[in-house]
Amino acid sequence: MSLTTLENYFLPGSGGEVVQLLQEYGERAMILAGGSFVHGLAARNLLPGVDVFIDIQKLGLADIVAGSGGLEIGAMARLADLASVSEIREDAAWGALSDALRCPPVQIMNTATVGGNIAAACPYFDLPTAFLAIGASVRTEGSSGSREIDLEDFFTGLFENSLAQEEFLTGVALSRPEPGSASAFVKLETNANDLAIVNAAVHMTVDESGACQAARVALGGGVNEIPLRSAAAEKLLTGQVITDELPAKVGQAVQADISPMADHRASAEYRSAMASVLTERALRSAIARMTGGN
Amino acid sequence: MTSSTTSTTVLGKSVQRPDALDKVTGGKHYPVNVTLPGMLHAKLLRSPYPHARITGIDASAAAKLPGVKAVLLPQDVPQRKYCPVYFVPTLAPSMVQDMLIMSDTVRYAGQPVAAVAATTAAIAEQALELIEVDYEELPAVFDADAAMAEGAPQIHEGAENNIAVNPVVAFGDAEAAFEKADHIFEGVYETQRVHTCYMEPRVCVVDSDTGGNLTVHSSMQHLFGLREKLAFVLGMPESKVRVIKPAYIGGGFGGKLDIGYIEPVAALLSLKTGRPVRIEQTRYEDFISTTRNPIRVYLKTGISKDGRFVARYAESTLDCGAHATHGAEVINVHGMFGILLTYPCPDQHWEGKTVYTNNMIGGGYRGYGSPQGAFAVESQIDEICEELGFDPVEFRLKNSYHQGDPHPFNPQAKLDSYRFQDCLTQAAERIGWSSRKAAGSDQGVKKRGIGLGCQPIWVSGCVGFPDIYEHSGAIVKLNRDGTADLSTAAVDLGSGQITTLCMIAAEELGLEADQVRMTYADTDTVPFDAPSHASRVTYSSGNAVKAAAGQARQRLLEVAGGLLEASPDDLEVCEGMVRVKGSPDSQISVVDVVTRAESPFVVMTEEGPQPTNLEEKGTIIGLSSMAPPANPSPATVEFVEVEVDTETGQVKILRVVFAHDLGKLIHPAGAEGQVEGGFQQGMGYALMENLLFDPDSGACLSSDFLDYKMPTAVEMPPKIESIFIESNEPTGPFGAKSLSEPCVTVPAPAIANAIYNAVGVRVRELPITPEKILAGLGKL
Ligand SMILES: Cc1cc2nc3c(=O)[nH]c(=O)nc-3n(C[C@H](O)[C@H](O)[C@H](O)COP(=O)(O)OP(=O)(O)OC[C@H]3O[C@@H](n4cnc5c(N)ncnc54)[C@H](O)[C@@H]3O)c2cc1C
Repeated sequence: MSLTTLENYFLPGSGGEVVQLLQEYGERAMILAGGSFVHGLAARNLLPGVDVFIDIQKLGLADIVAGSGGLEIGAMARLADLASVSEIREDAAWGALSDALRCPPVQIMNTATVGGNIAAACPYFDLPTAFLAIGASVRTEGSSGSREIDLEDFFTGLFENSLAQEEFLTGVALSRPEPGSASAFVKLETNANDLAIVNAAVHMTVDESGACQAARVALGGGVNEIPLRSAAAEKLLTGQVITDELPAKVGQAVQADISPMADHRASAEYRSAMASVLTERALRSAIARMTGGN
Repeated sequence: MTSSTTSTTVLGKSVQRPDALDKVTGGKHYPVNVTLPGMLHAKLLRSPYPHARITGIDASAAAKLPGVKAVLLPQDVPQRKYCPVYFVPTLAPSMVQDMLIMSDTVRYAGQPVAAVAATTAAIAEQALELIEVDYEELPAVFDADAAMAEGAPQIHEGAENNIAVNPVVAFGDAEAAFEKADHIFEGVYETQRVHTCYMEPRVCVVDSDTGGNLTVHSSMQHLFGLREKLAFVLGMPESKVRVIKPAYIGGGFGGKLDIGYIEPVAALLSLKTGRPVRIEQTRYEDFISTTRNPIRVYLKTGISKDGRFVARYAESTLDCGAHATHGAEVINVHGMFGILLTYPCPDQHWEGKTVYTNNMIGGGYRGYGSPQGAFAVESQIDEICEELGFDPVEFRLKNSYHQGDPHPFNPQAKLDSYRFQDCLTQAAERIGWSSRKAAGSDQGVKKRGIGLGCQPIWVSGCVGFPDIYEHSGAIVKLNRDGTADLSTAAVDLGSGQITTLCMIAAEELGLEADQVRMTYADTDTVPFDAPSHASRVTYSSGNAVKAAAGQARQRLLEVAGGLLEASPDDLEVCEGMVRVKGSPDSQISVVDVVTRAESPFVVMTEEGPQPTNLEEKGTIIGLSSMAPPANPSPATVEFVEVEVDTETGQVKILRVVFAHDLGKLIHPAGAEGQVEGGFQQGMGYALMENLLFDPDSGACLSSDFLDYKMPTAVEMPPKIESIFIESNEPTGPFGAKSLSEPCVTVPAPAIANAIYNAVGVRVRELPITPEKILAGLGKL
């Protein structure tokens, strides 16, 4: 598809209309949120047959609401809106998210939406990895109503997600973290407007004895076709008292769960080596946050 | 002797650039903004195959699409082979003429095979999808060595082993000299294909009239070259082609020196339709239109016990892609200024090969073959020093040319204003060279290192020895309000040529910088000027501007002399007044002189109105059209400090110190900007930039800046320090020579050498990616 051959452009005012249009146009239709990835997809022939845009900016869905249960983020909230939420900036438990939100260039921060960053199911984006580590679910609306999907079950393949044909994403839900939690995110990139070659995020909850009670370790950026959690690393971390040697071991452990891709940006070997280095660095950074650093 | 500089009043100040405000508010005069009434938009259909013969094209459906006004196919294009390069006559034998626009043989993936002009770009694009082309695929080759091997597909008729040109240059007897050398070093150094990444795409609007005259607006670096090539390609007299000079363009860096295919295609479509036709390339199309040629250099050097160059041998293989274009000239400049002339060495032998492949074509790019050479030469010097225990700064000092030496390229001239040694010593001191640690000895995960790279001999224009074929011209006209208009064909690429040339004219005329305005020019109205290339505009166009301004000034003084009853030789121009030197009361304003000279004038006197008795009448104007007197060599030295992350292989540039031997410093802020931009391009070349191709289809995989990585402001070091070492170049305007290209050439070797100093890893293949460093550290 090329933008100049677009057949139709809709600006629906309700979720119901969106679902109807998705039903009507099927594979020809694409949801347009911030629009920041459209060129990227089109230029790589990743939008074959698409010639109808359904722009969802009229739906609202841009609020970010903090409640006792956690945070409800509208799909159309811009990355910059999310970055300005004080709880995200200040709570060490959500540190991974604020780290990730420091990566995109300012133009992308102001145009890209949280929903678009997730729905694109691009393994090289940063928010999916951070959200996987801190724990998140997505909310959707479709022909059979709305549902909530655990983020881990959302990504199904390279640029593929578990949304049904006539279903779209309405928001992301974060639950309130346990006390004694901290998280951090690290990204490897070539320049400041690059997508991740590899990224990694670690979230941990530590009890009073200094032992890790619960941990989530997530990786993205081509360590697999989808961003994923490393069960091996999490298992190794859980129950351990934090020592200086531990981060390197946890970093090594992710090797059991990744199967890196090779492309013109990095070889599989390099991605594999970096997955360990970045996991270790993310863990060290989370530990520093836990112990009062930032 | 010539180290003291000329004293000036305008030059040396960072005056505001006249185009600055215009640009930061949108730059409405960029060629990309040109629109004409009734303008059509054209798009090009490109071959998906790297090597094929077109056996049939059916464009009937495209022609019928509403909105389509014309279709252009190979049979509509005069099959005239041409070389898209303007170059000095001495290199005529190396220039290659090819069929570059549309022919029935495709030689690279992406070569244009048809074009459509329509009322909108969208319709033109839609129409392309309706054109059916039958291709007979031919075997393709994407590697220069494979292309030279027996049995390789023949890409151009008559090019034996696919070699386009094969220059050999030797001094003395290298073979015998190697016998006498105490040490011999050899290595292979490889560079990649990169794009200049100018911001404004290649774009043109071509209009035609009923008399078959063409008017051309284009984002390009050479007015007269475009006129000459376009007229040749279309088989028209040159006088029927008028090329309008853009007020400025959005970057060129050599990437807009090619007179490529968009202007001829737009011209043919305009002649077909009688309407203006616009073509604007996408970033992807720009990526596959012109690049810096990859060169593989085998370099062997013989060294004496006391650390002097004794013998040198080099072989350079340049992959020019499907057509030679600049590749035939780049190889020569690379051999001479990238390798042979860098440091004195009595016995040298170099062989170059420009080889056709089915890769995309190369082109001009700032440095023109020198970056590929410097990467080899400057890397190897550090390898030699490391192995034999010499200090790399001392070694270069000992092995370099000196001020007053005969010029290595043109022995009739001398290196009059040459200050390479001062560059080396001053920059070394600034970076703190004496406290440099041994290679790899820094501690910790992140290790720091310092390295340097040099361009000891460069040019101020193309080297057309024994003559200097860098003709320039200018017209300077004084206005009745005391200002001056300057008009030249030299195009401002964004690097500040307008500012520099206006300053030179102002200095010569005795005006302030903002009293000279760069005004309209086209090929009908101004004298010839060579391209804005080869670090030449300040020197060559500057000399022409100074001459034209000098002529105008002389006229001004003659007229003023008549009015003041003084000899022109006793007059000076200062603060808007023409004064008799030493008697400040005897003066007349420039406004008065110009006004009286230009038009009939009546003065009021006690006896009533009286006509002026001025004998000399006529606008005060100066004109020059000339070749510059020489081609003085500037020099540049750069030191960088890097930090290498030994776990990820990532390199951060901490500090950069440049020193430049440039003659007179004209516009300090502009000069700093040149160097900062140059460093950014050089750093990208060193660390990340790389146009990538599918090894099977030859198709370019870099479609935009998500794939093509270049340094952003975030990766740049916080400050780039430039030491400008001035001297008085006797042949230059107010002592100036040049600056623009060496700052692109030296970063790659300087960074490679600094990485070696940090971690002890020597990478001989650009770009130096984190993966290569980790592999060197044994971690991959
Ligand atoms: C130069 C550049 C730099 C970048 N740097 C970074 C970076 O550092 N870190 C990072 O994480 N990302 C980065 N990105 C990616 C950027 O974050 C994404 O492009 C953006 O998040 C996508 O959101 P959008 O709202 O613009 O989506 P769009 O471009 O509008 O859509 C993207 C995709 O998601 C689908 N989609 C969007 N919203 C919904 C929805 N509500 N329901 C269902 N499907 C939907 C669309 O149909 C489309 O397939 C960069 C992009 C660019 C161009």
